[in-house]
Amino acid sequence: MATSSDIATLQNAQPADALMQISGLSKRYGEQRALAEVSFDVRSREVLGLIGPNGAGKTTLLETLAGILPADGGEILWRGAPLSLADRRDAVFYLPDGLRPWDDQFVIRSVEFFAAVYGCAETRVVETVHAVGLSPVLSKRISTLSKGYGHRLMLALALLTPQPVLLMDEPFDGFDLRQTREMMGLLREVTGRGRTLVLAIHQLGDAERVCDRFVLLAEGRVRGVGTLDQLCEQTKEASGRLEDVFLALT
Amino acid sequence: MRSPELAAFHRASLRPLLVKELWEMLSGRALWTLLLILCPLVGYSFAQAVALYSEASSAARDSPALASGLSPLDGVLVPSFGALYLAVTLLFPFVAIRTLGHEKETGALPLLVQLPYRVPTLIAAKMAAISIAWLISIIPLVSVLITWILLGGHLYAPETLNLLLGHLLYGLLVGAIALFAAAISESAATAAIIALAFTIGSWVLDFGLAGQPGLLEWISRLSLTQTLRTFEQGLLSLSLLLGIVAGIGGFTALSAVWLHPGQRLQTKLSRSVICVAIIAAVLALATQIRTSIDLSEDQRNSFPAADQRALAELREPLVITVRLAPEDPRYVDLRRNVLSKLQRVLPNVTVRLATTGQTMVGSTSDEAYGEIEYSYGGRVAKTRSTSHREALPLLYGLAGKAIPTPLAGEDYPGYPLIAGSELTLLWFFAALPLLIAMTWWWSRRAPRIPQQLVQDGGQS
Repeated sequence: MATSSDIATLQNAQPADALMQISGLSKRYGEQRALAEVSFDVRSREVLGLIGPNGAGKTTLLETLAGILPADGGEILWRGAPLSLADRRDAVFYLPDGLRPWDDQFVIRSVEFFAAVYGCAETRVVETVHAVGLSPVLSKRISTLSKGYGHRLMLALALLTPQPVLLMDEPFDGFDLRQTREMMGLLREVTGRGRTLVLAIHQLGDAERVCDRFVLLAEGRVRGVGTLDQLCEQTKEASGRLEDVFLALT
Repeated sequence: MRSPELAAFHRASLRPLLVKELWEMLSGRALWTLLLILCPLVGYSFAQAVALYSEASSAARDSPALASGLSPLDGVLVPSFGALYLAVTLLFPFVAIRTLGHEKETGALPLLVQLPYRVPTLIAAKMAAISIAWLISIIPLVSVLITWILLGGHLYAPETLNLLLGHLLYGLLVGAIALFAAAISESAATAAIIALAFTIGSWVLDFGLAGQPGLLEWISRLSLTQTLRTFEQGLLSLSLLLGIVAGIGGFTALSAVWLHPGQRLQTKLSRSVICVAIIAAVLALATQIRTSIDLSEDQRNSFPAADQRALAELREPLVITVRLAPEDPRYVDLRRNVLSKLQRVLPNVTVRLATTGQTMVGSTSDEAYGEIEYSYGGRVAKTRSTSHREALPLLYGLAGKAIPTPLAGEDYPGYPLIAGSELTLLWFFAALPLLIAMTWWWSRRAPRIPQQLVQDGGQS
């Protein structure tokens, strides 16, 4: 098991290519502590996985990063400079889990709305719709979509946004194995085009396949930060599996 | 310094946001239900008003004196618009709440606040949608105006437009309150309770506190219903106009303060205090404005033109001491016939209620009860009359002025009309609701999908 000083060393080691630095972020809901002095960094063009069981604080962390939930303490830096709440929406776009926004609208209207707001070229809209496989349901109302297509719509909306960092809560929830693989490939393409992804995932297998680095969360605390190899080395786990590392650290 | 990597989209077009708000409003059932309920309500009110107006007109056919009392504003427009008042009070909050409440309930709010618009812009777009909703909801009323003209009725444009303006402001005020309620509530149901507490609470103020002395009388003036009464009398009061606009702006600003879930509670509270202070300052300023325009065709809010001119020349302060309880009907008459008209035409009028704190029952044994004392230029005169026909000569006497000669041809002729309104019921109860239902159905059709977006696939 890693000691607290090991974790602190990992958390404080901020590399030169850190895009965002999160330092000492904390949040309470009344008596309940949701985030406790959470610190880590997000590097350019990486897929960073926030890993933790239900109730670990993943969603709270993402909402705090997006500026949708006020933090009680801590700091968020962008390239070393404080990132104000007003500037937050220029830096990150957060896609919550299980949303059916504007559910009595047609799918096409939501897509066209986001495309018009962000001034997306028609070719980009066509490419995005085809990439997430949304074409068959464009004329359906959002409330009638299956869980899978609901997720595809949300993913399409997120891909139409221009922010450098995308925060996604459980992006593979509701997809079968084949669809999950497809979406992972798509997200890889997204990072290839210069965007950075922070994904909250509770399925460790999925996380292991898609993420470059991991932030392990439990009870609102960071239990480990690094690549799978770094975490294995830290925990002396020989299996090389994220599941074993996670159990060792939490 | 701002990083060049940050997305620079501060000039996002407003058009998609407005279009989205419009579609959101049209997609809900609230607006269409309001419209469908308004049709028979307005139609029945109109038919009843026309029937009564016709009855009164047949009696006035041979009497010019009776005919002069027949005003379409009082006889037809105000009763018909009363149905709109009822619908806006009870149903319009649901339309307004939906513009934000639905986004809160479906979780769209976190997406909305991340869009490249400032929060006040988001709220302004919602208020624009609420304004459009109000414009759509007056379709049955526009239909009333057209029907009245087709029946041969008379409309005086300034007073009709003034009445419409009053209802627009009342609708927007109710809309802004409902939007604020939605901003501070987690669910649409809670927001509806808060909004209805304002609107129905106004009725409580009207019925429970009106005519009460002192603080209760001041509180009763906060009733939303008060906003309409002046417009229904054909008066455009700049003070009231500024007050309502301040109310609309204030509740809209408070909605913007409370919308963003990422703001701390302390920040929201401190900004709310600033907002409320600004609104209070504007309202205080509004009470100092005396300017008002009488837009009624019969000039009911003014004395006869000759008196208006003569009174406009009086420059010294006039103090009127009234020994009547506020709930006494004679005081209501005096206010309507004399005091409010004097306050409009004279630059410096002070009205003192000598019976403050007393009730009508307790005061009637006082011999001086009922006296109205006019004090001008150091001279004093008393009367018990509540009519301007007695009060004005008294005032001219105090000012040492001759009673002006009435101008010829200024009498309001009245507009009697005998018309049958049975057929109009068919329009309001069947044809118009059918047209509205068809438009609703048409608005729900699927939009055209651009060919390049279409691709084969199945539902997962």
